[in-house]
Formats: sequence, structure tokens, C-alpha cells
Amino acid sequence: MAKLRKTIMVRLLAIMLVVLSAGNVFAADNEQEQREQFKEGARLWPVYCAQCHNARPGSEFSPEQWDSILMHMRTLPNLPAKDARAILTYLKLSH
Amino acid sequence: MPAGRIFSTFLFVFGAAALSLAGLTHAADSDSGDTAALKEIRREMRQMREERKRDREVIRSLEIKVQQLETKGSSVEATTQQLQNTDEKLKETTLELQQTNAKVKTLQTKVAEGPTEPQLARLLGGYWGTHQFTIAGGAAADFIYDRQLAQNTFAVNFNPEMFFRVNDWILFQGSLDASWNPGSSGASFSSGVADAQIFLNDYMELVLGAFDQPFDDFYEDNSAFWVNRFVTAPLPYGARALVPPSDIGMQVRGGYQWGQLGQDVDYTVWAANGPSFDSALPEPVVGQMLNGFNNIGSNTNGRAYGGRFRVYPFPLDSNLGRLELGTSTYNGKWQNGLWFNAWAVDFNYLRGNLQARGSYLETYRQMPGGASPDNRQGWYVQAGYFLNGLRLPFLSSELDDYLDRLEPLVRYSGVNQRAVVADEFSTTPSLGFSGSQSVFAPHAREVALGLDYWIAPSIAWQTEFDFELPRAGGTLFSFNGASTPTASKIGATPNDRAILTQFTLGF
Repeated sequence: MAKLRKTIMVRLLAIMLVVLSAGNVFAADNEQEQREQFKEGARLWPVYCAQCHNARPGSEFSPEQWDSILMHMRTLPNLPAKDARAILTYLKLSH
Repeated sequence: MPAGRIFSTFLFVFGAAALSLAGLTHAADSDSGDTAALKEIRREMRQMREERKRDREVIRSLEIKVQQLETKGSSVEATTQQLQNTDEKLKETTLELQQTNAKVKTLQTKVAEGPTEPQLARLLGGYWGTHQFTIAGGAAADFIYDRQLAQNTFAVNFNPEMFFRVNDWILFQGSLDASWNPGSSGASFSSGVADAQIFLNDYMELVLGAFDQPFDDFYEDNSAFWVNRFVTAPLPYGARALVPPSDIGMQVRGGYQWGQLGQDVDYTVWAANGPSFDSALPEPVVGQMLNGFNNIGSNTNGRAYGGRFRVYPFPLDSNLGRLELGTSTYNGKWQNGLWFNAWAVDFNYLRGNLQARGSYLETYRQMPGGASPDNRQGWYVQAGYFLNGLRLPFLSSELDDYLDRLEPLVRYSGVNQRAVVADEFSTTPSLGFSGSQSVFAPHAREVALGLDYWIAPSIAWQTEFDFELPRAGGTLFSFNGASTPTASKIGATPNDRAILTQFTLGF
């Protein structure tokens, strides 16, 4: 009985360690993804936005306003969704 | 046993013993002497008893007093302890008070400073809760001079755009157009756009409502004051547009990357009320102008439909710039059984400081009674070059700053149509229109030279020199209040020149 209890405890501990590590990996993945999006947005912004008008800097609007404006700006030139997200990340973080 | 009692008992015993000893010593002397001595001894014993009694009482009272003092001493000790505790608490409270005062001072300083810009923006942005209300748009003020008409005037236009973001995938958009133009007593108002933009997924979006025509790029992407590099629109999209600038209906659209980063493709398909022509004329004629909007479709059996397809062939890393190639189509009945069709090809190129764009379009309109169709063609090509980075040896560095903001431009545009309608000519300038009659020539040609000074990415002082160079004449229809028009042949309208200068800002 004691041996069985010990086995269960060890397995539970192992599961907890895996879950905690996965959480850290996800958090790290999100940061990594945001960084990649920011870099891609910085490449796209001076080209995509300047296709029609002079590219406007992130400081011109608040992050919340960019959420709305980028939806509209995605519509007009039919920006690919992932490109729009990258540009939005860049504009919001460079606010 | 108390000490006093022991002492008095000892005294009594000692006295008794002494007296006994004295009695025994004097027994042999005489009997009378013994009696007196005995009386004396008894008297002294009584005296000693009384003294002992008094001593006991004194001792008792002293004991009581000692007890009282001991009690008082305990009370004092307890009080002293309480005072010490209270003192410690006071010290703690004083420390807390000092910390609170420091916090209050910090808060007072923060309140005096006010919220930071990002904080204020977040507070204002969060006013609507999870929804987001944003106002953007543009404004412009013109000064216009036309040589042929020998008139000059100011004009103003204010065009706010409101966005209401419900969530990540629904946005409402509406615009208001307020213009103060010569010839009117006050402002005139209209609304060009009011629609919902619904993102179904990464590749498909619905647009429902009133929208800029997704035909070519100009109406949707380049017509805003602070976006258009020129003050005026190119001839096919200006005062005598060949395709309706707006419509009411629905669109399905989207874009995706088909190759490397930058290699995209996008599509737009739409259905809407369709075209209508100038309803002020008693009967349709060739050369009749299009209406801006068709709010009702009762004059057609069906709706109009069309599409636009654009491709971007160059990857971002190719250093070839960004090229867009597009094609558009428009098909709708302007009257029962009578079709209006249009198609266009366009390009848009951006590389470094150079930007160029252009399009070619054709329209076909079936006329009633089997009359010859009203076919038209239009085109424009323009280029601009930012002088940013250009360093002239004879210019000082201060002037270089101004040079960096300049963008010279050139545009050539033209329209071909068989006829025009005299009753539709407008010689009243308005924002973006010089009022030149030469614009309405059947085969109009225009060379526009522009110079933009960019104060900020969305704020510019724009100046445009228009050279109207009509190539040929055609047929002129005139109603003059009659129900049927008269037709006459006209030659090319005389050349004209105009200057338009505009201050514009996008907000």
C-alpha cells in the first residue's frame, strides 16, 4: 500500500512538472511569436502602408484606435490577414 | 507568625521570667515587700500587655498599609506596562502615518501631473467598454484659379470618418462630407460611405452598406484628400466620372499570400443597386453623366455586379519594389433591358522615393430605341518622386530639410466620348475641381503638374497646375428646358489653364 501511494505521488509530481514546463513554453512561445510579428510588421509597414499614402507612425494613434483603424485599412487594400496582424503589432508596440 | 507578634510574645515571656526570677529572689526578704513588689510587677505586666496590644494594632495597621502599598505598587507596574504598550503602539501609528503621508504626497504629485498620454488614451478608448469608437478622416481647404473663366475662389471640405469596432471581426464605418463651395449659401452635407465590415475568417470579409466603388483603385484607395497626391481627380474619375463612384450593396473580399512575403493576391466581388444616369434630363442621351449614387433600383430589373482582382508579383526581398497589377469589371442595367458594362486594368508601383500609378478603362452603355451605344474610354498615368535624401551641393543643410519634404508630380489623363450634354456643364469651382469647361470636352486631355510639401505623413500643402488640352470635339446635346435635345457638332474646346493650391490634413 505504501509502495503504491509512493508510486502515485511520484507520477503526480511528474505530471505537474510537465504541465508547468508546458505553461512556461507557451508563455515563451507567445513572446517569441509577438517578437516575430513585430519584426515582420516593421518590414511590411513602410511598403504596404506607403502603397497608397505615406506610412503613418504608431505614435499617431493609441493602441486601441489602431485596433479599429487597422480593421478598416485591412479592408481597403485587402491585406492578407497575417500581414495585417503583423503591422498592427508593430504599430501598437511602437506607439 | 508576624514578627511583631513574635517579639511581643518574647517580651511577655521574658517579662514573666524576669518577674518570676525577681519573685524568687525576693521571697526570702519579707512578705510586705513582696506584696508591693508583686503589685508593681502585676501593674507592669498589665502595662506591657497594653503596650503589646497597642504594638499589635500598630503592626496590623502597618501591615495593612504595606499591603495597600504593595497593591498600589502592582497597579503602578500594570499602568507602567500599559503606558509602555501604548507608547509602542503610538510609535507604530506614527510610522504608519508617516508612510501614509508619503503616499498621499505621491498621489498628489501624480494628480497634479495628470494622466500620461497613453493612460488618457486608454481611459478615453475604454469609455465604451469593450467597444471602440474612433474618429479619423480628413479636411482640406483650396484656393482655385481658372484662366478661362477668370475666376478665383476658396473652398473647404471636412470629411470625418467614424469607426465603431464591436469586436475583433465586426467594424462599422460611416463618413460625413461637409463642403463649403462657391455658389452655395452655406454648407452642403452628404454621406458617401456607411457600411459594416465583417471578417468571416482570414480569407473572406463581408462589406454591407454604402461603399466606395471597388473598381480600379482610385475611389476606394486614393480619393481621400490627404491620400491623393493631386488636388483634383484624374479625368475618368473626376467631374465627369465614367464609373459610379459609390454604390449600395454588398461585397465579399479578401487577400492572401500566394508566395514569399510580399507576393499577394486579393479579390473583391460585389452586387449593388447599379448605375443610374442624370435624372434631371428629360430623356437619356449619349454623353449623359452618371449619378454618384443609386439609392433605389426601381429603374432596373436586376442588380449590378462586378469584381476586382489584384496581384502583387514581387517578393519583398527582391528589392524590385512593390508592383500591383489589377483588373476590374462592372456590369449593371441602368434601365430595364439596357446594360452598362465597364472594365479596367491598372497598375501601382512603389520603389523607394518613386511612386507611379495608372489605369485604362472602357465603358459601354446600351441606348434605348436601338440607338448607337454610348461607349467611352478613359485613362490616367501619374508619377511622383520624393526629394528625400537628395543633396544638392549649393544648398545649405537647413534648406535640405525643406527639400526632403518636397514631392514633385506629373499626371496625364484623358477621356474619349462621342458626345457631351451642355446642360450638365458646371463652371462653378469646388474643392478638387477648377471649374474649367475644357474638362467637359468630348475628347478631353489634361496634363497636371503637382508639387506637394509634406509637413507630416498626413499633412501637406499641395499645388497643382492644370493644362487642359482638349484633343478633339464631338457632338453637343442641349435641352435648354425642352423635352428633347438638339444636337450640334463642336470642335475642341479651347485650351485652359488652372491653378489649385490646397492645404490638407488627415486625422
